[in-house]
Amino acid sequence: MKKRLGGLLIVFSVPLLTLGFVAGQNSTARSAAYVPPRASDGHPDVSGFWQALNTAPSFDIEDHAARVGVPAGYGVVEGGALPYQESALEKKRANFNKRLTDDTVPKCFLPGVPRITYMPFPFQIIQTFPSKRGDPEFGLDRDLGIVISYEYLDAVRYIHTNGRPHPGHGDRWMGDSRAHWEGDTLVVDVTEFNEEPWFDASGNFHSDALHVIERYTRTGPDTLKYEATIEDPKVFTRPWKMTIPLYRRQEPQLRLLEYYCHAYREEDRLRSVK
Amino acid sequence: MKVRMVGWIVAPAAVMVAMGIWGPSGRVAGQSADIPQSRAWLLGPIPEGTGNVPSHSGCPGEPKLLRPCAQEKANQFDPPRTPDGKPNFQGMWARTNGTGTDSRSAFILEEHEGNRAEQVPAGKSLIVDPPDGLIPYQPWAKAKREEIMKTYIDQVSNCLPPGVPRHFLAPGIYQIVQSPGYVIFVLEHAGHTRIVPTDGRAHIGGKARLWQGDSVGHWEGNTLVVDTTNVNGQAFLSILPRDFTSANLHVVERYTLFDTDSIFFEATLEDPTVFTRPWTIAWGRTRMPGKNLELFEEACHEGNRSDTFSVPNLMFLGLDHSPKP
Repeated sequence: MKKRLGGLLIVFSVPLLTLGFVAGQNSTARSAAYVPPRASDGHPDVSGFWQALNTAPSFDIEDHAARVGVPAGYGVVEGGALPYQESALEKKRANFNKRLTDDTVPKCFLPGVPRITYMPFPFQIIQTFPSKRGDPEFGLDRDLGIVISYEYLDAVRYIHTNGRPHPGHGDRWMGDSRAHWEGDTLVVDVTEFNEEPWFDASGNFHSDALHVIERYTRTGPDTLKYEATIEDPKVFTRPWKMTIPLYRRQEPQLRLLEYYCHAYREEDRLRSVK
Repeated sequence: MKVRMVGWIVAPAAVMVAMGIWGPSGRVAGQSADIPQSRAWLLGPIPEGTGNVPSHSGCPGEPKLLRPCAQEKANQFDPPRTPDGKPNFQGMWARTNGTGTDSRSAFILEEHEGNRAEQVPAGKSLIVDPPDGLIPYQPWAKAKREEIMKTYIDQVSNCLPPGVPRHFLAPGIYQIVQSPGYVIFVLEHAGHTRIVPTDGRAHIGGKARLWQGDSVGHWEGNTLVVDTTNVNGQAFLSILPRDFTSANLHVVERYTLFDTDSIFFEATLEDPTVFTRPWTIAWGRTRMPGKNLELFEEACHEGNRSDTFSVPNLMFLGLDHSPKP
């Protein structure tokens, strides 16, 4: 029995180890040398269909052992344990115990940022044609810049690149995203969250003071490095960071399909009633 | 500001009021203030040509009159272009429709009297073919429509997408953006986004059925043509009544700029399971005035406290409402 369990663990972790190793090599070796192609706005082309191969963080962003339905996995938090404030750590433990009822993702609610990035679904980054003086839309709409469309829940993020500040309304599931370029890296500043979504299915949480700084950097033809710095002075003692390699989906003529979670759940429920 | 909209009906109007582009004065984005909003025709009869189109376009708003007028103007119009040489549809677009200033009027596709209880103003038909302006239902389907109206609620009320071609009829804030090889239609309501590839690819396999269908586009001259199949047959075409299709629906949409600030739209719907012949609907969209408009997050299901999910007899999901082909 013991032997078989050990075998299972190896099956789960060897591919993850290998992937982590290869990805690490790629991002460090290539980010210095790789010159990404340019989009119509003159910036690196980050468009296309991307997905995280390591979905362990959607279960738990920290290193974790396996449990029912959850493979063991490497976390994505740099520097070890999450820097929770003492009271927050108690809440995290309580969340974990109530994770099956209190996590909002099983309710089909939007999973927030950065969690949506490591859900096991592809997403499409679209770099729109920039509006220029003389275009009919110039000055009327605020240049949308970049749109990220997620297959999961048909969620969408408008990544505004128009230089305007966050509007200050607060209370958003996916936050308000304002981006600029630092060299070849797309830097997205995300604030104005609500406190509903967790970082994972294990109760790691944030407050409405969450501030995420995402960095998207092309590291090769088919790889995109995703880094997120997390600040939340109500929950953590200091900022912390996660790094996740994203991979380009290779299928030709790929398109996003649909995952309308609440529709399928209701469908199942109705079938069971019938 | 809490953007937790419970209802589809309230949300767009509230947003528009908040943004100052729609209000009691009857002014709607894109409409010059000189078009009077007469409450007299709220319940009908409706004057010929009535519709909400930008006055500068010079075309009447009623779809059957708008269609030839817009087509003639489009033939003589060289549209602005994106860097890849395609017509530039980018921007915020307000809906125009066959009846006038009330955002609810386009919830009904056929010509109709006003309904005070439902707060729906009278409206002209959006159907330009057949000429009688009626949906060419097969007899069984027409009877089915009455039954559906009594039994099922609209999918959009439960934060599901409006489907095709209703997506382009949806009220509220609507933005079109383009990137190489794609035209992206962004509806603020529940973030329902349609991404249309324009590389002439084939449709996906027939077993994959989608609320929004599978849409592939191509350019015919200055017109964006979008071909949609693979729908799941569960998305109603309108809210009042619940016009419906089967999963065999095939839609061909055509988007054409006929001046810098006006889009003429038409869609031909073919579904031999439900209709006796293909039929075509048409309307316009006009560029929204105002400066620096920007889309917000509109979390819909997350804020849905209407408990409709606890009323199974009001739900259509998972139930078949058309015979199997």
